[in-house]
Amino acid sequence: MIKLTNLSKIFRTELIETHALRDISLQINEGEFAALTGPSGSGKSTLLNILGTLEQFDDGDYQLDGKSVKGLSDAALSKLRNEKIGFIFQSFNLIKDFSIYDNIELPLRYRGLKPAQRKQRIEQALELVGLHARRSYLPSQLSGGQQQRVAIARAIAGQPRILLADEPTGNLDSLMARQVMELLEQINQQGCTILMVTHDPDQARRAGRHIQIIDGQLSDAVLYDPLAAQSA
Amino acid sequence: MEQFIYYLKVSLISIRRAPLPYALTIFILSVGLGVFFANATFYYQLNSDPLPEKSDKLFFPMLNLVPYECSTDCRTPRVLSYSNVEKLSQTDTPSQAAAMYSADGYLRQRADQTPLPVSIRITQRDFFAMFDVPVLHGSIWPDNSARPEVILTKATAEKLFGKSDVVGEKLLLDDRNVTVSAVLDDWQMLPRLYDANNRNHLSEADDIYLPLETGYDMNYLSNSQSQTFDDTDYRQLSTQGRTGALHQLQYWVKLDTPAQQQAYRQFMTNLVQDEKAAGRHPSPPNNQLVAMRDIVSYFGGDSSDIKAFALVTLLFLLVCLFNASHLSLNRYLSNQYEFSLRRALGASRSQLQLQMLADVLIMALFTISGALLTGYGGIKLMNNLLPANRLFSDWDLTLLLGLLTVAVICSYLVTLYPSLRASFGSLNQQLKE
Repeated sequence: MIKLTNLSKIFRTELIETHALRDISLQINEGEFAALTGPSGSGKSTLLNILGTLEQFDDGDYQLDGKSVKGLSDAALSKLRNEKIGFIFQSFNLIKDFSIYDNIELPLRYRGLKPAQRKQRIEQALELVGLHARRSYLPSQLSGGQQQRVAIARAIAGQPRILLADEPTGNLDSLMARQVMELLEQINQQGCTILMVTHDPDQARRAGRHIQIIDGQLSDAVLYDPLAAQSA
Repeated sequence: MEQFIYYLKVSLISIRRAPLPYALTIFILSVGLGVFFANATFYYQLNSDPLPEKSDKLFFPMLNLVPYECSTDCRTPRVLSYSNVEKLSQTDTPSQAAAMYSADGYLRQRADQTPLPVSIRITQRDFFAMFDVPVLHGSIWPDNSARPEVILTKATAEKLFGKSDVVGEKLLLDDRNVTVSAVLDDWQMLPRLYDANNRNHLSEADDIYLPLETGYDMNYLSNSQSQTFDDTDYRQLSTQGRTGALHQLQYWVKLDTPAQQQAYRQFMTNLVQDEKAAGRHPSPPNNQLVAMRDIVSYFGGDSSDIKAFALVTLLFLLVCLFNASHLSLNRYLSNQYEFSLRRALGASRSQLQLQMLADVLIMALFTISGALLTGYGGIKLMNNLLPANRLFSDWDLTLLLGLLTVAVICSYLVTLYPSLRASFGSLNQQLKE
């Protein structure tokens, strides 16, 4: 489903060049739940952004569903994001003066779905995340865990092929984090491919596949454990 | 449509998020546009063509036919003598022609009443057809001969009689008996280009109309410009005014085709040559045939104060536009996170530009309201500062549509760059922050 071939990304300033990603070759198959781990600054968020077409890459190739995304126009990339990719951000990224319903509706609006279709998908997503009763609430009226569940509902309402989650539990306590993880597992069991960036080794272990990235390169090393790294 | 209503809703939510900067942007734009509107109103009205269908066919002939040898300043007199007009009338090239001047008088029904001061246009019958003057009751004089008949405006008739249908009624014009032969319908030719001399074109139309021959018989002297180039006694207009070199008449001719215009120019040239040959024309010939649309600038009556204001208000509008854009940019950049989020969730830049159109629409609505209010206040202020231009402060449909277009364009400009900047921001960076 996702195929990266010798993908590289360099951040350039006037003085220095930083190789964020070097020759990444990776394949993620449909229905996989993969965890992407690595130390801070290792390039995992950059990789996730490139996979989500939020950022361009410099070299190599990225194929999604057998088609290269290189050179696609802004409109084509927008359509790709809208129809095939769902995003879950660490800081939820909900619009604070939009109701829960309106936040979830956002990507569906840009797909051009009719009101009845949008409503049906939003209702389904809200049912799945267990927030149907709070559809007219504002994000500020919900707990962090609930907000992240709204963000998940927004991501899955468009029925994407792949869900990209950037530290989805990073701002949550352990109980909330567990609930969110269970939700993601449930979504994955329904056939959605998930790639999740995490610092938490326990969460990484729960994913079916583990991809580790260190200094912008894929690593074959054992699961990166920040606590272990700290004690060493 | 449903999606555009959604965009409008998003715009309103965005305004609610930071109402003060938005209000300030609207205020700055409204003031700039309002001041521009006020000045544009005067500029447009003062430069408008009151007779667009025929203004290129109406001409003002001037001759240097005076018994006076000029040495340094040989400008053609702006007014003609009675005998000049007679000579100019000796051709049938013009389809219409009318000589005229204005005077002041007093009008009343009976000698025991307080007289009403009136301005009198003393003219000939073609005047009414040439300048499309509408007749409400009665009829215009059948020829140019002297007759004790006056034509009243509707307002004057109502002032004197309390009604407009007063044809046949008797009046005392400066205590001489006259009869009302017609009443004009409401009419204002703005600017009144047939009387552009001495910037009279900015004033209102006259109250009553008197035949030229009767005006001379009644010894009415022009109240705007008269020049004597010999020993004619201006107090003896009825006896000496028709033969002496007393210049006070403005003369208009209607020349329908270029061929007629050329023929009339040739006629004027021949006339001057004949006069010179007869020894009645010592000055060098300097004939003028000025088209109606050029008459104001020919007489130097352009409103330079309005032109200067126009430039200043245009510059002021540009400054306001710049400031409003700056405020708008700040507002959009503070919302850049939302732009990035929308793009991440699948909105294309063109869809974001549709959102911008909704922003433009709302901004234009607020701005137009503010600008119309400011413009109205500005006009009231200018009417006080420059009362001579008071008649030119009305808004017509063309002007309003023009002004609305300017407001929409300004709203678009104020929104365009900021929204483009916001929609081109780095997605991942914005979403991380």
